[in-house]
Amino acid sequence: MTTIPVRPPLARNSDRVIAGVCSGLAVHLGWPVRNVRIAMALSTLAGGAGLAFYAWLWIMVPTADEAARRNARRPASPIAPAVSLPTAAGSGSRADAGPPRQAPRGFGGPGTWAPGTWTAGPATGPAAGNIPPGAAPAAAGMPAGQPWFRVRSMRYGKEILLGSGLLLVAGIMIARLLGVNVPLGTLIPAAAVLGGAAIAWMQLDETRRAGLVDKTKADQAGGWARLAAGLALVVAGVLVMVSGSGSWEQTWLALLASVAVLGGVVLVLLPWALKFWRDLETERAGRIRETERAEIAAHLHDSVLQTLALIQRRAGNEHDVLRLARAQERELRGWLFQDPGRGTGQLSDRVKAVAAEVEDLLGNAVEVVSVGDAAMTEAREALVQAAREAMLNASRHGGGAVSVYLEVTDGHADIFVKDRGPGFDLPDVPEDRMGVRESIIGRMRRHGGTAEILSSGEGTEVRLRLPSTGPDTTEGTA
Amino acid sequence: MNTLPEAAGPPSRSVRVVIVDDHTIFRSGLKADLDASIQVVGEAATVEQAIAVIATERPDVVLLDVHLPGGLGGGGREVIAGSVPLLAGTKFLALSVSDAAEDVVAVIRAGARGYITKTISGAEITDAVYRVAGGDAVFSPRLAGFVLDAFGTAPADIADDELDKLSVRELEVMRLIARGYSYKEVAKELFISIKTVETHVSAVLRKLQLSSRHELTKWAAERRLL
Repeated sequence: MTTIPVRPPLARNSDRVIAGVCSGLAVHLGWPVRNVRIAMALSTLAGGAGLAFYAWLWIMVPTADEAARRNARRPASPIAPAVSLPTAAGSGSRADAGPPRQAPRGFGGPGTWAPGTWTAGPATGPAAGNIPPGAAPAAAGMPAGQPWFRVRSMRYGKEILLGSGLLLVAGIMIARLLGVNVPLGTLIPAAAVLGGAAIAWMQLDETRRAGLVDKTKADQAGGWARLAAGLALVVAGVLVMVSGSGSWEQTWLALLASVAVLGGVVLVLLPWALKFWRDLETERAGRIRETERAEIAAHLHDSVLQTLALIQRRAGNEHDVLRLARAQERELRGWLFQDPGRGTGQLSDRVKAVAAEVEDLLGNAVEVVSVGDAAMTEAREALVQAAREAMLNASRHGGGAVSVYLEVTDGHADIFVKDRGPGFDLPDVPEDRMGVRESIIGRMRRHGGTAEILSSGEGTEVRLRLPSTGPDTTEGTA
Repeated sequence: MNTLPEAAGPPSRSVRVVIVDDHTIFRSGLKADLDASIQVVGEAATVEQAIAVIATERPDVVLLDVHLPGGLGGGGREVIAGSVPLLAGTKFLALSVSDAAEDVVAVIRAGARGYITKTISGAEITDAVYRVAGGDAVFSPRLAGFVLDAFGTAPADIADDELDKLSVRELEVMRLIARGYSYKEVAKELFISIKTVETHVSAVLRKLQLSSRHELTKWAAERRLL
């Protein structure tokens, strides 16, 4: 870990003697394979350290194939790179506990680095499995130099923290072996306090992220566990430090006493805290309600009140009043019941829009009932236009409410436009009247559909049918 | 739906109606609009009032707004649920300004015999009241559209549960109603009697109320439309 500069990912090579660990390591470090193998063999003599290391890498480092597959399969994690942006790098406690973010600066230089060959991959043996490749594109786009560190620290913050801690422990143990008098009695509690504080303070980042990304229950649960762990560590550390001698009996006694004190404090403060919390919640809910109210008021003012004023001014003209009321009703309905998340531009939306247009134009209500839906196509637009023509005719000559029924099935889209007017005979319609012949029948025929007009003394119904050409029908989304 | 009292059978006595709606203006407007042969015996503005008035008056038909204040927030649905023992003698006709499928389907499944929008004329409402009083179901084009959307437009052929699908004939009737046909026009179009049309509509209503198809409720809840 201390040797770093990362270039190719650490992966066990196919060029192998035993498991490809050494050759992989060599590629990764940019050393000759032979040197790596010799170093490994030598370190094996040092109490079997090399052997343990080799076994460890064998287990933890994937083969080149596996690594490639994993990187290809796993999508970039959306959170991981964002979590540990080095914003809190200045936190003193963390730096002491084992420098987390700035750490890489101390270890190993930047080294040369070829963007093309650097695919995301594990740089450290033990952590090989958990590094998301998400940061790769970001890294590839950056010039070698300063920002490179940021990317690196983003990706390996936790590992570096852990590694530094372990190194520190190892250093202390070595120092003790060498006979240096290390004041363990102070160091351990201090480390505990710092570690606990670090864990607890990580909350800050977490909650901020939760606010930004998504506040899920699981996150909160994890947060609480972390807080508790941090608290326990800090309390224990402080206790041991305060109790000074580090004697366990005393420590336990002190721990018991302090837990009792803490319990008492919690007991006393809990009602107050709960009340405070509830007040906060109430206030928040109230604010949300207030915002919603304001939005509704603004909308009602802009639309409904204005329309009502217009209606009063034109009270004498029944036709206008009706039209205004209808238009307002439609608008309000759309605002109240339309799901804003739903996409528009489907066939049923077009038909409804056209119906509204006809309603506004001629004043008679046009009721649309739709079953099923489909995406718009050129042919369907023609269907809509033919239906519009039929609606116009129905509204104009029927002189009353118009019923429009749209049904989309796998096979075809049907539109029925019905009115209760006096009706007409198609042969009687003069040749120069383009409406029916051209805009309805001709248009449907040109797009491979059919149009049928049935008229009697009790009303007229135009039946339009357009066969589906593509498999783009979606049922039940109207 | 402009068919008339004589198709539903002339009333032997005037129909007694209770109007349940929280808008005073709408109640008085509706009262003025209804035919003289319809006797409005009570009004209510909340769920509690409605249940009480219905229990004392035992009307033939309750014109019931889907959205009502009071009770547990269930609106018209709750009124029907609270009047279950009277359902044999009292029919509920849902009347709503809301076209939201979940409202409509919920109140129908609770036991209403029909659903009409508030924008229809007094004559049409009168007709619907007689129809419901006579034991028939009243379907507006939109309700028929909901039914077709919820049950699907494919007829029952391999249905394991006949409640989950509509028969070919029922589908035809529903389609025509959705297209704006009156019962009379449906009968003429399909060469069947009005009585047969009514039978089909009642059968569809029964399926709508009894179908245990979980998709139906889910469908209604998911569907947000104007």
